[in-house]
Amino acid sequence: MKRSLTVLTLALGLSAAVSAQAQTTEITFWTWYLSPKFDGYIKDTIAAFEKANPTIKVKWFDKQASMVQDFVASVNLGNAPDVVNLNIDETAKAAQNGFLRPVDALTSPAVLKATYYPQSLKNFTVNGKVYAYPWYGSLNEGVLLYNPDLLRQAGVKAPRNMSEMLNMVKTIKDKTGAYAWVPALKDPGGASFLGYFFSDGLPIYNAQGKAAFNSPAHVALLQRYVDLFKGGYLPEDALRKEAFQLATELYPQNKVAMIVGGPQALNRIKDTNPALYAKTVVTAAPLGKAGVQTGTSMGLVIPVASKHPAEAARFAAFFSNNANQVAFAKIVPIIPTTSAAQNDPYFKKASTDPIAKATSLIGASGRLINPGFKTPGNSDDLYKNFSDNIESALLGKKTAKQALDDSVAYWNANMSK
Amino acid sequence: MRANWRQTLLSYTFLAPALILLVVFTFYPLAYGSYLGFTEYGGARFAQGQPPRWVGLENFRTLWADDLFRTSLLNSVKYLLVVPALQLASLAVASLVNNSLPGMAFFRAAYYVPVVTSISLAAVMWEWVYNKDGTLNWVLGFLHLLPAGGAFGWLNNENTAFWAVMLVTFWRGFGYYMVLYLAGLQNIPSELEEAAVLDGASAWQRFWRITVPLMRPTILLCSLLSTIAALRVLEEVLVLTNGGPLNSTYTALMYVYFKAFQGFNFDYGLASAAGLVVAVVALALSVVNFRLFRDSSGEGG
Repeated sequence: MKRSLTVLTLALGLSAAVSAQAQTTEITFWTWYLSPKFDGYIKDTIAAFEKANPTIKVKWFDKQASMVQDFVASVNLGNAPDVVNLNIDETAKAAQNGFLRPVDALTSPAVLKATYYPQSLKNFTVNGKVYAYPWYGSLNEGVLLYNPDLLRQAGVKAPRNMSEMLNMVKTIKDKTGAYAWVPALKDPGGASFLGYFFSDGLPIYNAQGKAAFNSPAHVALLQRYVDLFKGGYLPEDALRKEAFQLATELYPQNKVAMIVGGPQALNRIKDTNPALYAKTVVTAAPLGKAGVQTGTSMGLVIPVASKHPAEAARFAAFFSNNANQVAFAKIVPIIPTTSAAQNDPYFKKASTDPIAKATSLIGASGRLINPGFKTPGNSDDLYKNFSDNIESALLGKKTAKQALDDSVAYWNANMSK
Repeated sequence: MRANWRQTLLSYTFLAPALILLVVFTFYPLAYGSYLGFTEYGGARFAQGQPPRWVGLENFRTLWADDLFRTSLLNSVKYLLVVPALQLASLAVASLVNNSLPGMAFFRAAYYVPVVTSISLAAVMWEWVYNKDGTLNWVLGFLHLLPAGGAFGWLNNENTAFWAVMLVTFWRGFGYYMVLYLAGLQNIPSELEEAAVLDGASAWQRFWRITVPLMRPTILLCSLLSTIAALRVLEEVLVLTNGGPLNSTYTALMYVYFKAFQGFNFDYGLASAAGLVVAVVALALSVVNFRLFRDSSGEGG
């Protein structure tokens, strides 16, 4: 009798376990360049989600250089991930090509609007539909970090806007031998000067949606950089290397006086030159004539090929909610894209430490994250053409006007493809 | 008859694994890639699960009209200049390290080190060499070969970047071909050399009359491999210059790579067509190699 009861209990227990397992849904989550540095945060957040949603299990992978290729291949192989971390530009391309589900069909638009800044949602909106849960962001201008000794030697004060910055480039180089700063002359997306145009209040498109970045004002702004580049006042390696990477290489060697960018640069300076880090002054970033910041953010997208979109949406919303974004900002100086973050006391703390100061200066600026222009269709070809034309102007192969005219013509002939 | 049939079956059974692998990983991709070159496939069509659409020669017309593709193909063909330099240098050094002098093993190993060095490490190292305040400018300045203030970034100038990258290819490939040549040299019967020495042949005569003719199959192999490698050059260009400045280092394989794997706007059809063009060029050059280096004795090629 006792033996029969034991067998019965075991059988019931087993069937209960099997049934619970049958009801569990496993979703796959891909992040981009976050492991191993942020393993602890990501695993803890996943664990918290699984605890609150016992029927959903999350399998996490961190992808790096081959993220997009892996994504495309996974769609072809029928094992697409359920939640994927993409930036604004890649989200737009993926949405334009039909790889993504609109998330406003999975989470009510009212909830999205209540959670995230309107601009953050707008950044991920393609043809009127939102395609990502906005996640952490960064500002291109962000803050200004500078070496006070070099500025003193040059006899200048920290620039308050980009006009002042451009005006002091020659003085700093002539008097100190160091470059004033490293502007983004080319970037992998080819968008650097498009951002500068936006910062100066110059449009990228006209009212009809055609490329229009070749007015005399656009030409004059590009010409300003061309003159400085030809004069040797901007590092020529900036044509080949990412500006942020080059700036963080040169600044600790006292070869660059200022860095315009996110506080993440300070982490590198702290590692490579602690003495200079301690001296570094952090202040508000110099902005263009429009007085606006440009920036980018990550989003969490749900592929069309996801087999569990409802569970994926629940997870993506959880992962990008205010509490989790603020928790992330406490580990690394990212900018949350949730509107509640602007009232968080964490971003209001006063400190003399450069990283803490930079974080409090920009941590609650998520509302300002705006790339400044919509990703055009066929963007890879268009960015390449734009970038090539900028390079031609900087290297004196074309005039600034010719370069912008050629690029506008190419964009308008190829944009809709 | 029955035994014969069994023997045939047995032979094919042994061949089957290799044949299956060849079909799956070589013949099928080759055939499918060639087919894709005549189709529109990628981006939205791919995401929506639509099959490739036959477009005939449209992709080739697009390539012909694309300045970037023409530049990249021209750069790849120009890149072939590395082949004779690489072959001559590696054959010459293989002949030198083929001597059994003390310490020769060190040199053999040292020349091979670049082959096994990762490209990212090599790129960092060569950047130190080519930078404006890098080693190369310092050496040239020290030797008074560079005027004061004449230092420049070798990778930032459209006239020098191409040759600078090619030198890295040379540096990376040199040890590999040297080892192949060394293996070939060690297969030459020593009696022939000894007889030539007895006949009073000079070292130079022995090299041209004995070594080179007997090395023809190895020369053909190395020449073919390095021609194909030069046409496929990608890694060093990507990490050192990303094709710039002014697309002076943008190669045909870079074009294929970016068209096929860039973002979500990728175009497998166009990339396959570009790949086909590169393959045809490689095939034509292989024929030239066979004609130049085929073994007149009928052996080895």
